[in-house]
Amino acid sequence: MRKALHRRAIRAPAAVTLLLAVLTAAFTHAAPAAAAAPSIDATIEPAQISLGESAQLTITTSGSGSLSVNLPVVAGLEFRVVGQSRRIEIINGATLDSTSTIIRVTPDEVGVFTIPGPSPHSPPLVLKVLQAGGSGPSLTPSHPGSAALNSFLRGGSEANGIRLSPDGSAYIRLEVPKREIYVGESVPAEIQVGMRNGFAASNSLPTLNTSDFTLNNLSLKPDQSGKAIDGKPFTVFTWHTLLAAIKPGTYSVSFSAPFVVRIRSQPRSDSLIDDLLGDPFMQNLFGASVSKNITVASPETEFTVLPLPAEGRPTDFGGAVGAFKITTDVSSPTNIAGDPLTLRMHVTGIGNFDRVESNMLTGDPQWKTYQPKATFNKTDSAGYHGEKIFEQPLIASQAGEQTIPALSFSYFDPAARRYETVHSAPLRVRVAPSAADSAATLPPALASRAGVPAANPTNGHRPDHAVTEARANSLVPLYLRPAFLSIQSALAVFFAAAWAVLRRHERNARDLRLQRERLRQEALQASQKQMAAAAAAGKAAEFFSAARTALQLALSPLLQKEPEHIMAADIDTRAGSDSEAIRKLFAYADEANYSGSAPGAVDFERWTRVVSRRVTAEKAP
Amino acid sequence: MIRIAKVALSAAAMVFTAAAADTASVPTGGYSAAAFYNLANAYARANKPGLAVLNYERAKLLDPRDPDVAANLLRVRQSASLPAVSAGRLDRLTQLASPTALSWIGLLGLLLAGTAMLAREKFSAHRGKLLLSALVGFCLLGVSAGAAMAVWPTLHSAVVVGHSVEVRVSPVLIEEPLFVLPEGEIVRVGDEHDGFVLVRTRAGRSGWAPSSNLALIALQR
Repeated sequence: MRKALHRRAIRAPAAVTLLLAVLTAAFTHAAPAAAAAPSIDATIEPAQISLGESAQLTITTSGSGSLSVNLPVVAGLEFRVVGQSRRIEIINGATLDSTSTIIRVTPDEVGVFTIPGPSPHSPPLVLKVLQAGGSGPSLTPSHPGSAALNSFLRGGSEANGIRLSPDGSAYIRLEVPKREIYVGESVPAEIQVGMRNGFAASNSLPTLNTSDFTLNNLSLKPDQSGKAIDGKPFTVFTWHTLLAAIKPGTYSVSFSAPFVVRIRSQPRSDSLIDDLLGDPFMQNLFGASVSKNITVASPETEFTVLPLPAEGRPTDFGGAVGAFKITTDVSSPTNIAGDPLTLRMHVTGIGNFDRVESNMLTGDPQWKTYQPKATFNKTDSAGYHGEKIFEQPLIASQAGEQTIPALSFSYFDPAARRYETVHSAPLRVRVAPSAADSAATLPPALASRAGVPAANPTNGHRPDHAVTEARANSLVPLYLRPAFLSIQSALAVFFAAAWAVLRRHERNARDLRLQRERLRQEALQASQKQMAAAAAAGKAAEFFSAARTALQLALSPLLQKEPEHIMAADIDTRAGSDSEAIRKLFAYADEANYSGSAPGAVDFERWTRVVSRRVTAEKAP
Repeated sequence: MIRIAKVALSAAAMVFTAAAADTASVPTGGYSAAAFYNLANAYARANKPGLAVLNYERAKLLDPRDPDVAANLLRVRQSASLPAVSAGRLDRLTQLASPTALSWIGLLGLLLAGTAMLAREKFSAHRGKLLLSALVGFCLLGVSAGAAMAVWPTLHSAVVVGHSVEVRVSPVLIEEPLFVLPEGEIVRVGDEHDGFVLVRTRAGRSGWAPSSNLALIALQR
């Protein structure tokens, strides 16, 4: 501890000596360039501090010549030079040189101190020192024990309605136009969050610290502006939003936001170099500060929330509070039956548009109505002013001159403290019959005589159809679907194959018949030749045998029997007039076959004629 | 012969089962001619002839006999200054009955013709009557086949849904356009390559058009 004090005692005079040398050299160098008369001025910031904090006294000398800066002497105050800056300005060719000396003022006791001006003509400066730990703005360190750390800035002052955080790096302010509101009423509110440049930063939106109010339409992109508070530059973010109370009573409202601020990492009294490096960049460069998370809250704003009166409340009141007007229009003054129209209702004004609702037209038998759809176009950033448009599709039930009834809208006017109901004007629509309807009702001549516009199929579309629940799984017709085609093809192939098989069998059978017929004819000719040879040789037995064979072959198609199975008993009237002769021939043939002998006198020519007639008859068609 | 008849009947039963699965009325999903027609009307009112023609054509595939579809389609084509489309001879066949009925007519004709031809080979005594029956069956089958031939090009056609679609000689953008397809025009589609489709107009001109500007009439589920 003693070593630290010794080092500090050595370090402080050396720094002061160094700065004074630089100051003297600067004045010596600047003196020839200055042309204006020398002047001196002094300011102190802030003008009110707490005991244990320090204020900053800035003495600025400008003009030609050198003016010595003497530290003032005030009982109870300690003055120490902590820095100096020089600025050269050239205005219309004239050079103006100014030098600022920054002096830290640390009070030893509570009270109001008067600091004499730097020159005899300068006004005195007043510094008010309050007791430490008194009432001040809320600063909530995120970590316990961090209160022991001092920041670079002195704060806790309140100027122009702005209450800075204790470290002077940030503030939040809520501005509302009135404090007495009704339940559900939207009040436009302005939330300002100011951050000292280079000392505080925040990436979060301000939050409402009460559950009795709702916050609507808080934009993610606030307005940004610059502002000087006690000579220090601040960046101010402004949100425009709507506050609404959810129940009657008296409530206090405040906003808070988290910040990251730069806080001194060493006690102020032990860190002279920190005071020398007043710039945030230099502080960060030399590691004299650390980042700290704090939460800053705005002063509480008290609201009186009144209930909406039950007396006189319209039945269609939906909770809209404000001042509104309505107008209506329709998408087209003429229409065709079956085609939809769009009825629009415009609600304009100020108030809680989120509670502006309407069912529009309902229960009118002349019109088929659908659920309306609403869109809101706000004309300010908070959505307090704007226009809400309700759009409702309508379909006329009948053709002719139709009237859309007037619409109404009810709201509570907080200024007049009563419910209001506004009405729109009724609208007239001329509905022409659809093409299908007019074609089904009256011919054009009669229709024109009756005052009904004639349907022109080329002018209007035919009306929509009622959609049934019948659905097809594919747009491809059934006869072109692969499954149907494949099964149909299979059936066709099957029929074709079966037909071909049948045809083939038939052809084969026919071929067999033809072959048998050919063989029969050959055998018939051979038998006839045998008959002729036997007749020439006079061999009766061979003749009758060959003749019987020839007759069997000739009669086979007629009797539908195999030739060898045809006997004498099978010969009937189908054989014609020769049947008796044929039976006798069969008998001679049997006799000759079994006995080996034949009749003594055989008329070969007669029997040959009988056989020839039969063969000729068989060949005839 | 009895065996052949049994096989034919079982095949018909299979066809009926497959067709019933396709044409059954299902409460949700599927395609509805009325829905396509109403959608086309909405597009026509919104002055979008391409999408209107597309949905009218789809409605026509499902219900070719609806006069409202034909009337509104004609009106949209006239409004869009598209050339009139003359109906072919085969198109009349599609007007005879619904697509499903025409399918069953064709199947009935096939069964009748096939059975008659087989019987004619077997029963020579009734060849004349059976030949007449076979001819009637072939006629019914021809009606169905004719309707299928009439619809077949539509299944491979697309509607130009973009405005003034440029057709190029090859499927690259650097080519100079050959000609421009008006919105609502119906073209036959062929090969597809790199975002382009080979199209052929009714006038016989062909080229490559961006596929994003075309919509197939017979959309696939």
